[in-house]
Amino acid sequence: MISFQTSRFGLIEVAEEKIIYFAEGLPGFPMIKRYILMDYKDTALKWLQAVDDPDVAFIVVEPSLLNPDYRVSPDDSTKTILNLTNDDDLAVLVIIRREGDQVIANFQCPLLLNAGTMRGVQVYLDTIPVS
Amino acid sequence: MLVLTRKISESIKIGDDITITVIDINATHVKLGIDAPSVQKIYRKELYDKIKSENILASALTVDEFVKIKEALK
Repeated sequence: MISFQTSRFGLIEVAEEKIIYFAEGLPGFPMIKRYILMDYKDTALKWLQAVDDPDVAFIVVEPSLLNPDYRVSPDDSTKTILNLTNDDDLAVLVIIRREGDQVIANFQCPLLLNAGTMRGVQVYLDTIPVS
Repeated sequence: MLVLTRKISESIKIGDDITITVIDINATHVKLGIDAPSVQKIYRKELYDKIKSENILASALTVDEFVKIKEALK
Protein backbone atom coordinates (compact mmCIF):
# COMPACT_ATOMS: atom_id res chain seq x y z
CA MET A 1 0.00 0.00 0.00
CA ILE A 2 1.06 3.57 -0.57
CA SER A 3 -0.52 6.62 0.98
CA PHE A 4 -0.47 10.22 -0.20
CA GLN A 5 -2.20 13.51 0.52
CA THR A 6 -4.76 15.08 -1.79
CA SER A 7 -6.35 18.49 -1.50
CA ARG A 8 -9.87 17.23 -2.35
CA PHE A 9 -10.01 13.83 -0.66
CA GLY A 10 -7.53 14.03 2.19
CA LEU A 11 -5.20 11.09 2.77
CA ILE A 12 -5.58 8.30 0.23
CA GLU A 13 -4.31 4.77 0.73
CA VAL A 14 -4.13 2.59 -2.30
CA ALA A 15 -2.55 -0.69 -3.36
CA GLU A 16 0.50 -0.10 -5.53
CA GLU A 17 -0.95 -2.14 -8.38
CA LYS A 18 -3.75 0.45 -8.70
CA ILE A 19 -1.28 3.13 -9.77
CA ILE A 20 -1.35 4.10 -13.44
CA TYR A 21 2.01 5.15 -14.79
CA PHE A 22 2.15 7.91 -17.43
CA ALA A 23 5.79 7.73 -18.51
CA GLU A 24 5.68 11.17 -20.15
CA GLY A 25 3.18 12.71 -17.77
CA LEU A 26 0.40 14.71 -19.42
CA PRO A 27 1.02 17.88 -21.46
CA GLY A 28 1.11 20.64 -18.85
CA PHE A 29 2.12 18.20 -16.10
CA PRO A 30 5.25 16.46 -17.36
CA MET A 31 6.61 15.76 -13.88
CA ILE A 32 3.52 13.94 -12.65
CA LYS A 33 3.89 10.32 -13.71
CA ARG A 34 1.62 8.46 -11.28
CA TYR A 35 -2.16 8.68 -11.07
CA ILE A 36 -4.98 6.65 -9.62
CA LEU A 37 -8.51 6.26 -10.93
CA MET A 38 -11.14 6.82 -8.26
CA ASP A 39 -14.85 6.10 -8.21
CA TYR A 40 -16.82 8.91 -6.61
CA LYS A 41 -20.46 9.64 -5.77
CA ASP A 42 -21.98 6.62 -7.48
CA THR A 43 -21.63 7.77 -11.08
CA ALA A 44 -19.75 6.71 -14.19
CA LEU A 45 -17.65 9.85 -13.82
CA LYS A 46 -14.35 9.21 -12.08
CA TRP A 47 -11.46 11.20 -10.73
CA LEU A 48 -7.99 10.71 -12.14
CA GLN A 49 -6.03 11.87 -9.12
CA ALA A 50 -2.31 12.59 -9.30
CA VAL A 51 -0.27 10.69 -6.74
CA ASP A 52 2.63 13.11 -7.08
CA ASP A 53 0.68 16.37 -6.68
CA PRO A 54 -2.15 16.77 -4.16
CA ASP A 55 -3.93 19.48 -6.20
CA VAL A 56 -4.02 17.86 -9.63
CA ALA A 57 -7.06 15.73 -10.42
CA PHE A 58 -9.08 15.35 -13.60
CA ILE A 59 -12.71 14.39 -13.99
CA VAL A 60 -12.82 11.57 -16.55
CA VAL A 61 -15.39 9.31 -18.13
CA GLU A 62 -15.52 6.50 -20.64
CA PRO A 63 -16.30 8.30 -23.91
CA SER A 64 -18.74 5.61 -25.03
CA LEU A 65 -21.10 6.81 -22.32
CA LEU A 66 -21.22 10.25 -23.97
CA ASN A 67 -21.02 9.07 -27.56
CA PRO A 68 -21.46 5.37 -28.36
CA ASP A 69 -19.82 5.87 -31.77
CA TYR A 70 -16.53 7.14 -30.37
CA ARG A 71 -13.68 4.74 -31.17
CA VAL A 72 -9.95 5.07 -30.74
CA SER A 73 -7.44 2.75 -32.38
CA PRO A 74 -3.98 3.31 -30.93
CA ASP A 75 -1.16 3.63 -33.46
CA ASP A 76 2.01 1.56 -33.16
CA SER A 77 3.96 4.14 -31.17
CA THR A 78 1.09 4.44 -28.69
CA LYS A 79 0.98 0.65 -28.38
CA THR A 80 4.70 0.65 -27.67
CA ILE A 81 4.33 3.31 -24.98
CA LEU A 82 1.53 1.31 -23.37
CA ASN A 83 3.18 -2.10 -23.86
CA LEU A 84 -0.14 -3.02 -25.37
CA THR A 85 -0.11 -6.54 -26.78
CA ASN A 86 -3.72 -7.47 -26.10
CA ASP A 87 -6.29 -4.99 -27.41
CA ASP A 88 -8.74 -6.16 -24.74
CA ASP A 89 -6.55 -4.44 -22.15
CA LEU A 90 -7.09 -1.02 -23.74
CA ALA A 91 -9.26 1.41 -21.79
CA VAL A 92 -10.14 4.87 -23.05
CA LEU A 93 -11.12 7.88 -20.96
CA VAL A 94 -11.80 11.49 -21.83
CA ILE A 95 -11.23 14.48 -19.58
CA ILE A 96 -14.25 16.58 -18.75
CA ARG A 97 -14.60 20.14 -17.49
CA ARG A 98 -17.16 22.89 -17.25
CA GLU A 99 -17.28 26.23 -18.98
CA GLY A 100 -20.22 28.26 -17.79
CA ASP A 101 -23.16 25.89 -17.95
CA GLN A 102 -21.56 23.76 -20.63
CA VAL A 103 -19.87 20.45 -20.04
CA ILE A 104 -16.86 20.01 -22.30
CA ALA A 105 -15.35 16.59 -23.01
CA ASN A 106 -11.90 16.54 -24.58
CA PHE A 107 -12.60 13.97 -27.31
CA GLN A 108 -9.60 15.22 -29.26
CA CYS A 109 -7.07 14.20 -26.61
CA PRO A 110 -8.24 10.99 -24.95
CA LEU A 111 -6.32 9.11 -22.28
CA LEU A 112 -5.40 5.59 -23.34
CA LEU A 113 -4.70 3.07 -20.61
CA ASN A 114 -3.38 -0.46 -20.61
CA ALA A 115 -5.32 -2.13 -17.82
CA GLY A 116 -2.87 -5.04 -17.89
CA THR A 117 0.38 -3.12 -17.43
CA MET A 118 -1.25 -0.05 -15.82
CA ARG A 119 0.42 2.33 -18.25
CA GLY A 120 -1.23 5.41 -19.67
CA VAL A 121 -0.69 8.06 -22.30
CA GLN A 122 -2.63 11.05 -23.56
CA VAL A 123 -2.85 11.11 -27.34
CA TYR A 124 -3.89 13.74 -29.85
CA LEU A 125 -6.29 12.66 -32.59
CA ASP A 126 -6.19 14.54 -35.89
CA THR A 127 -9.82 13.75 -36.43
CA ILE A 128 -12.36 12.96 -33.79
CA PRO A 129 -13.59 9.43 -34.46
CA VAL A 130 -17.33 9.90 -34.17
CA SER A 131 -19.76 9.33 -36.96
CA MET B 1 18.31 29.80 -26.81
CA LEU B 2 20.90 27.96 -28.85
CA VAL B 3 20.84 29.17 -32.45
CA LEU B 4 22.41 27.03 -35.19
CA THR B 5 22.61 27.66 -38.91
CA ARG B 6 21.94 24.62 -41.15
CA LYS B 7 21.59 24.04 -44.89
CA ILE B 8 19.22 21.71 -46.70
CA SER B 9 20.01 18.07 -45.82
CA GLU B 10 22.06 19.05 -42.78
CA SER B 11 20.96 17.88 -39.34
CA ILE B 12 21.19 18.53 -35.66
CA LYS B 13 21.18 15.89 -32.95
CA ILE B 14 19.44 16.13 -29.60
CA GLY B 15 20.97 13.56 -27.31
CA ASP B 16 21.79 10.14 -28.78
CA ASP B 17 18.39 9.30 -30.15
CA ILE B 18 16.91 12.34 -31.88
CA THR B 19 18.01 13.72 -35.25
CA ILE B 20 16.32 16.67 -36.92
CA THR B 21 17.13 17.23 -40.59
CA VAL B 22 16.32 20.24 -42.75
CA ILE B 23 14.54 18.70 -45.75
CA ASP B 24 13.54 21.83 -47.65
CA ILE B 25 13.40 25.58 -47.27
CA ASN B 26 11.43 28.21 -49.14
CA ALA B 27 10.61 31.85 -48.46
CA THR B 28 8.25 31.19 -45.56
CA HIS B 29 8.52 27.50 -44.63
CA VAL B 30 11.08 25.06 -43.36
CA LYS B 31 10.38 21.37 -43.83
CA LEU B 32 11.95 19.26 -41.10
CA GLY B 33 12.49 15.53 -40.87
CA ILE B 34 12.62 14.08 -37.39
CA ASP B 35 14.10 10.73 -36.46
CA ALA B 36 13.28 9.78 -32.90
CA PRO B 37 12.38 6.68 -30.89
CA SER B 38 8.75 5.76 -31.47
CA VAL B 39 7.97 6.26 -27.78
CA GLN B 40 8.87 9.93 -28.17
CA LYS B 41 5.75 12.01 -28.80
CA ILE B 42 6.36 14.83 -31.26
CA TYR B 43 3.97 17.77 -31.62
CA ARG B 44 3.80 21.05 -33.44
CA LYS B 45 4.31 23.48 -30.58
CA GLU B 46 1.04 25.39 -31.02
CA LEU B 47 -0.80 22.08 -30.79
CA TYR B 48 1.10 20.98 -27.70
CA ASP B 49 0.31 24.34 -26.10
CA LYS B 50 -3.39 23.84 -26.84
CA ILE B 51 -3.44 20.38 -25.24
CA LYS B 52 -1.49 21.75 -22.30
CA SER B 53 -3.79 24.69 -21.65
CA GLU B 54 -6.86 22.46 -21.94
CA ASN B 55 -5.32 20.07 -19.39
CA ILE B 56 -4.46 22.89 -17.02
CA LEU B 57 -8.05 24.17 -17.15
CA ALA B 58 -9.35 20.66 -16.44
CA SER B 59 -6.91 19.83 -13.64
CA ALA B 60 -8.29 22.09 -10.96
CA LEU B 61 -12.01 21.33 -10.82
CA THR B 62 -13.61 21.11 -7.40
CA VAL B 63 -15.75 18.36 -5.92
CA ASP B 64 -18.66 20.79 -6.26
CA GLU B 65 -18.03 21.04 -10.00
CA PHE B 66 -17.90 17.25 -10.22
CA VAL B 67 -21.42 17.14 -8.78
CA LYS B 68 -22.63 19.81 -11.20
CA ILE B 69 -21.21 17.88 -14.16
CA LYS B 70 -22.78 14.70 -12.86
CA GLU B 71 -26.17 16.46 -12.69
CA ALA B 72 -25.72 18.04 -16.12
CA LEU B 73 -25.02 14.65 -17.73
CA LYS B 74 -28.07 12.94 -16.24
